[in-house]
Amino acid sequence: MFPAPFDYHRAASVKEALGLLGQFGDDAKLLSGGQSLLPMMKLRLAQPAHLIDIGGLRELAAIKEEAGKITIGAAATHNQVETSDLLRARLGVLSECAAEIGDVQVRNRGTIGGSLVHADPAADYPAAILALEAEIKLESASGSRTVKAQDFFVDLLTSAIKPGEILTQVNFVAPAAGTGSAYVKHPQPASGFAIIGVAALLKLDARGNCESVRVGITGLGPKAFRANAVEAALVGKAPTADAIAAAASHAANKVEPMSDIHASADFRAELARVYTRRALEKALSRCKR
Amino acid sequence: MKVAGEQILSASRERVWELFNNPARLSRLIPGCEKLEILGPDEYAGTMTVGIAAVKGVYSGKLKLEEKRAPEHYRMVVEGKGKQGFIRGSGTLDLSSKEAGRTVATYAGDVQVGGTLAQVGQRMIDSAAKMMIGQFFAAAAAELKAESVGAVARHGIFINFLRYLLRLLRSLFETLLGRRSN
Repeated sequence: MFPAPFDYHRAASVKEALGLLGQFGDDAKLLSGGQSLLPMMKLRLAQPAHLIDIGGLRELAAIKEEAGKITIGAAATHNQVETSDLLRARLGVLSECAAEIGDVQVRNRGTIGGSLVHADPAADYPAAILALEAEIKLESASGSRTVKAQDFFVDLLTSAIKPGEILTQVNFVAPAAGTGSAYVKHPQPASGFAIIGVAALLKLDARGNCESVRVGITGLGPKAFRANAVEAALVGKAPTADAIAAAASHAANKVEPMSDIHASADFRAELARVYTRRALEKALSRCKR
Repeated sequence: MKVAGEQILSASRERVWELFNNPARLSRLIPGCEKLEILGPDEYAGTMTVGIAAVKGVYSGKLKLEEKRAPEHYRMVVEGKGKQGFIRGSGTLDLSSKEAGRTVATYAGDVQVGGTLAQVGQRMIDSAAKMMIGQFFAAAAAELKAESVGAVARHGIFINFLRYLLRLLRSLFETLLGRRSN
């Protein structure tokens, strides 16, 4: 399995990469970790004439916290996100999510930026990115813009990124102290992709009721989404097992589930309800007051 | 793979029928289709560029409309082939009037996708098909809207006022120049 011939360009900076992107336009693809793009090229489903490698750019690999904002560079690998002390302490659900992606090889090569722009409907990250209300920074030759996670996933394999743009950073505000969080998934046994993946964040108020609930679900429909109905059903209530189960029963509301040989639409919807309940229970067990 | 669903379009059944039977307009609704060439009565050939993520391919194929009963029903038979795979399928389209100016389009069909695309993309083909059907109807809704906006404008007060002004100016010029040509 060899890809069709292509020219390889190693960009020395984001600026140079943007220049090359402008020069080659539609004939070029950005290469970061290559864990989605290269298999497609080897199958010749994708045949870009030019690859612009941004995977090695140091300016894109940083993970840092400044003025209450946590920034992850687009070229940070899943392994970096999984093992970063800063992220484990401040964005635990994201590290937990990264640890669930593919296998060791994929986690060592694959990057957060690459995964997000690819917008695979079964990717793990989107669930956590949505629950954490991350902001995604996109740079182009004419400037930069920020897109909320909520608006970033548009449709099947379609994100809000436009031709000529590079995803450079994912920005987070860490959840309030005491928030419990969890990512749980039902993986497809061969590929490790999420048949269903659920990220939940739960914060209790002084009386022990749910003050804030944020749930992101991946794998169910053509794109990952925030489960607003689940959240609304739980906010203000005491987090009893019954209340959590009742809220989780709304997990598949308004989504037309995907169906394939691994899981029918009905099975996926049921998995979404079960894993949403489990994610909320796990997040609750990690809440501190 | 079975596909089925219904969409509500804000136009009369006759207008929707005309849209879905006019090859020039139909080609604008099919995602990635450049044009449809007429092969024979209700038979067209065309090419379609499908690009989802990095997977991009050009498919050439035929489209046939059968069992036509204006303005309510036809069967569409499609077959297409590209480097990455092939697609074959047929489906019915039924139009029913809901209320004045609203039409329910109901579709049901069976599509086979084969080749590398189907082998590798299996888990996403269903969703990709749904997405493209969604794009088709969104384009149809936009086309029908543009058409009705155009129709209103043609009879609009503003346009009529401009025409009146134009006529006035013309007659003024003609009077000044001392001749009447119209």
